[in-house]
Amino acid sequence: MKVSERSERSERFFDKRLANGLRLLGQRMEQVSSAAMTLVVPAGAAHDPAGLEGAASILCEWSLRGAGERNTRQFNDALDGLGCQHGETVRSDHIIYSAAQLSRNLHAVLGLYADLLLRPRLADETFEPCRALVEQDLESLQDEPAHKCNLMLRERFYPRPLGASGYGTPGSLAAATPPALRELFRRRFCPAGTILAVAGDIDWPAVCDRAEDLLGDWRGEPCPTPVVQPPLGGIEHVAKESAQAHIGLAYPTVTISHEQYYAARLAGMVLSGGAAARLHTELREKRALVYHVSASYHSLKGHAGVFAYAGTRPELAQQTFDMTVGEIRHLAEGIEADEVARARTQLKSALIMQGESTGARANAMASDFYHLGRVRGLGELSDAIDATTADEIIDHVRAWPARDVTVLVIGPKPVDTGILDQ
Amino acid sequence: MKLNHTRLDNGLTIIAESRQTAASMAAGFFVRTGARDEAPEVAGVSHFLEHMIFKGTPRRGSLEVNREFDSMGANYNAFTSEENTVFYGAVLPEYQDALLDLLCDILRPSLRKEDFDLEKNVILDEIARYEDMPRYRVYEMLLAEYFRPHPLSHSVLGTSRSVGALTREQMLAYFSRRYAANNLTLVGVGNVDFDALVAKASRMCGHWPSDEAGRDTAAPAHRQGQRIVTDPNVARQQVALASPAPASQDDDRYAAMLAATLLGDVTGSRLYYALVDVALADEASMVYDSLDGTGAFMTFLSCDSDQAARVVEIARREMAQFQADGPAEAELLAAKNKIASGATLKGEVPMGRFTVVGYDWVYRKEYVPLADQIETLFAVTARQVVEVARKHDFGKTMLVALGPLEKL
Repeated sequence: MKVSERSERSERFFDKRLANGLRLLGQRMEQVSSAAMTLVVPAGAAHDPAGLEGAASILCEWSLRGAGERNTRQFNDALDGLGCQHGETVRSDHIIYSAAQLSRNLHAVLGLYADLLLRPRLADETFEPCRALVEQDLESLQDEPAHKCNLMLRERFYPRPLGASGYGTPGSLAAATPPALRELFRRRFCPAGTILAVAGDIDWPAVCDRAEDLLGDWRGEPCPTPVVQPPLGGIEHVAKESAQAHIGLAYPTVTISHEQYYAARLAGMVLSGGAAARLHTELREKRALVYHVSASYHSLKGHAGVFAYAGTRPELAQQTFDMTVGEIRHLAEGIEADEVARARTQLKSALIMQGESTGARANAMASDFYHLGRVRGLGELSDAIDATTADEIIDHVRAWPARDVTVLVIGPKPVDTGILDQ
Repeated sequence: MKLNHTRLDNGLTIIAESRQTAASMAAGFFVRTGARDEAPEVAGVSHFLEHMIFKGTPRRGSLEVNREFDSMGANYNAFTSEENTVFYGAVLPEYQDALLDLLCDILRPSLRKEDFDLEKNVILDEIARYEDMPRYRVYEMLLAEYFRPHPLSHSVLGTSRSVGALTREQMLAYFSRRYAANNLTLVGVGNVDFDALVAKASRMCGHWPSDEAGRDTAAPAHRQGQRIVTDPNVARQQVALASPAPASQDDDRYAAMLAATLLGDVTGSRLYYALVDVALADEASMVYDSLDGTGAFMTFLSCDSDQAARVVEIARREMAQFQADGPAEAELLAAKNKIASGATLKGEVPMGRFTVVGYDWVYRKEYVPLADQIETLFAVTARQVVEVARKHDFGKTMLVALGPLEKL
């Protein structure tokens, strides 16, 4: 069966804008009994006021500490009682609330999140633990050098403050106060720019009615975008007596809305889409330099990058760094037909399998809408992947080589980045 | 949804839960072998062998193995635990035959000397990677202290020394005994064609020899006590506790699962409210680890070192109180809803059902449809939950700590 036939059979998208600017998205999925919700609020870490870095993370935690008629415990217990599997993430532009449950509980869960958006308690007495937890998360990063390497790399790579990790600094977290964060909530939690996506066993008209009832009266001004400064970029070594050297490097590429987007993604698959991709083959299979090496695509609205990471024993760090840069550069010298074929199959297969999970679908819809102003169906994605030729991939790689590379290394010794100047 | 199963003459079991409306299918081998089945002198061989399975056969080199998986767009991998080594792939249904061809072939690896020597370096790097993860180190410490000298105390990765000294001949001997046909289960889930699965496996695996793989199932002692490892390079104090729990084969495992959720789910549990909600700890969770013939409740705490004594005291108090009073009805119902909802979501994706169906068979030779599992879960009473806690006793703990503290 072709992908387009699959998609016609399984995909039904819905879209509605409430009068206050909130965007509702829906996908009806057959053969599932769950319904997942992704709520995207334009209050991410990039919007933290100067001096209050980490505020979005505290606010995310604080927003769950009671809403409407319920205190912290009652709110949490209500979600648990509905079998709601929920999670919260702070990204650059957004705080994202995800919740998956049996479809019969979706409307009750939506009611709880409407309370969170419109009637949060944000009480003085619950503030301090929220700040303390973010402080502890920040300290925990010292025990997770691989994760820290990727966060710091992103922070340095993107124009400031777009790559903000969301953890802040000990000083900025200490500066946060309940009034300052209530004010931040008032400014950032507003319907314009908020996306509510639901996927699974849903009744779309009923979802719209429920959303209108719960959120139709929500008011607030559209959010201004943050003022950006040039990225820090450059080469950074963080000294640590770790067992591995953690090596991260990043360079610019095209965003999701760019015409070369699919070429960029396919080039990324050739580089690091699987075990037969170049980085894994050359560094691990042939030379056993690393257990883990990968490169991944990441995009904000106006900026995107290829982010590579390798962990290796310190004595192999230099060779690993040089080879990683070398493999990225080799892409421009040519890509075999079978590499392109594998990249296509892998990208499409991942999309179809992701399409089986209601949570993954809700996330993908919200992300598409944020980046593109619309939702892409499986058929469109598949056709675009098939239509991208090997020449277009090569042209893209040559137009967007690994230039202006940002490097971050955590480990006992720095690496010599001279190869970047050659 | 139905289960098909059969057994080849050589003892290889094949099972499949078919759901023809699924967009994908998952299949793979469960090998009943892991760190507990290793003699001390070959510590780490199960995991090393898992890596070597992907390094090729007489028909395929290692690069070809990778290329073929990638060409199908397979989501594939393998993992090794104390008791199982599992190889799997999820693909679109039209790739079932190709996936099986590859999986069956690689389960008879060449174990070439040059691949063995090279891959050893990858394992050593993987060991270094986990050394940089205090949360993993404390887990390994807990198993080691709690189960010692029982083989369940063995590290899955082994040590740089044990892996460094391992020879290809030792691995070959281990392979021929542990990867015998009668120690393997082939599992298919999702949009899978069972008849084709059996036909393919018969052709490719029917001649594999059987052996007396077995397993030493003597019960471990469940040691009590305390061990503190001081490491000033670890920023957050890590503490882990273990106490006895039902075995995988015990009927009260559902009650045990509920007890662990009630006490230590990452959100909304008693430990969560007592420790994380008030920011005394950044992690306070309990899991129920059901094993072959035994089991353990394991609790993981992460906190500021100067709070550790208080955090441990509160965690112990919560466990004792739970054991004394048991759960309230509303609390129990919420825990059931959480578990049922999680299982349902997982069950909607073939890859999610794969491990559940496989473990049900490997541990209990049973197939339980998801709906029946949920029904059994909801039938558990508060009385049964408190009884499982009392019977196994959270007070019988081994405590290990890793971080800045010298004493606790």
